[in-house]
Amino acid sequence: MKFFQTRIFFTIILFLTISLPTVLAQGNRDYMRETGKINVVIGVIVLIFLGIVFYVLRLDRKLTKLEHQLKDDKNEWTN
Amino acid sequence: MWWKILSVFLIVYTLIAGTLVPLKPGVTYVFPESARSGEQVVLQLHGYNSFYTKAPANEIRTWLQFDDAHAIKGDNVRVLNDTTLEARFAIPTELPNAVASVMLNAIIDHPNDGVSLLPSAIEVAKDTIASAAAWQANAISELHVKKDFSFPYRNVIYESIRNTYFHVPMWFVLMFLFIASAWYSVQFLRYSNPAQAATLDASKGQSLIDFDRKAAAYAEAGLLFGLLGLITGMLWAHYAWGAAWSNDIKQLMTAVALLIYLAYFILRRSFDEPEKGARLAAVYNIFAFASLVPLLYIVPRMFASLHPGATGNPAFGSEDLDNTMRMVFYPAIIGWSLFGFWLAQLRFRYQRILDRATGLD
Repeated sequence: MKFFQTRIFFTIILFLTISLPTVLAQGNRDYMRETGKINVVIGVIVLIFLGIVFYVLRLDRKLTKLEHQLKDDKNEWTN
Repeated sequence: MWWKILSVFLIVYTLIAGTLVPLKPGVTYVFPESARSGEQVVLQLHGYNSFYTKAPANEIRTWLQFDDAHAIKGDNVRVLNDTTLEARFAIPTELPNAVASVMLNAIIDHPNDGVSLLPSAIEVAKDTIASAAAWQANAISELHVKKDFSFPYRNVIYESIRNTYFHVPMWFVLMFLFIASAWYSVQFLRYSNPAQAATLDASKGQSLIDFDRKAAAYAEAGLLFGLLGLITGMLWAHYAWGAAWSNDIKQLMTAVALLIYLAYFILRRSFDEPEKGARLAAVYNIFAFASLVPLLYIVPRMFASLHPGATGNPAFGSEDLDNTMRMVFYPAIIGWSLFGFWLAQLRFRYQRILDRATGLD
């Protein structure tokens, strides 16, 4: 699960970072500057959302680890 | 529980109002951008978010303004479409002051849209120089004010003024979380004294180790919001200032402050005895907070900055935030702050469960 989540998250980030500048630079249009730079606001909102998702996923992963640990023998826990 | 729901409600309100409320009309550019004195100029004025056709052309007034006392009025106003106006200006043979050329502001007064202004819209050049009465004949007066719920129009940033509700609250959350973190570090050190520790009320859930856990959890969430503020600021700066990182004093000082807090986590984890690490980290956290205030609020005001409100003013002047913006901005700060505390609490509760499960508590 942990591996799966991390991979999905970083695939999304990778996809966005690689594809967005290419998509936004099509032809002579500047998507970020046209229509009054409204897309900058969307970009900011998306960044905040991704940042919070990243933090929650990290916490989720820690909790999963703890859950597995609680099922096992406590004495085997090493940190 | 109620404050978690409130935080979600306020953030949703911020997202809806912050993105959907329209901007006030503005002027993006005029054509031509230069003229000579004594000339008849037919000026094309291009509006943003304007509805020029909603009023008869003879009720729309335009001026080219030099200062409060000097302006010339346009006549023959024609409305080409909602965002384009044409007006004829008879530029006087002499300029209002003793220089070779002047920059004039374009002003449009529309019965529905209210006033919109483009600073330094057109340059007027002149050979002979003297002051002239023609500039004082048509004073700017009886301007209309748009009274509906809309955000101010600003040149260069346009719609991205809405980032005020998303980028700026990040810094408020960071501050509140770091204040809470410093407070718990102080509590930790206070109750480290055995005599004080005896006064801790376990039935109220007070415990020494909790103070340390809370200090760390709140600092971690604060750091997350600091990073988000920095990244969103860089995106905004790329399209407002021309570069994501322009070594602006506030950008630099913020980066320094975040690095100081990053070191807090390294320090906290670099001891074999958790208690020793907790104590040193608590001391460091107080120093980190003491350096945060000058780094974020004092030093940036002593130097020129691209941020609004630099060089001595509060971070927001009355020009940067009007009453409609306040109605979204303040709920945004409260909403994001509560959300930040929520995240920090989750982190703290996880740490407590982990420590209990592993026999550290």
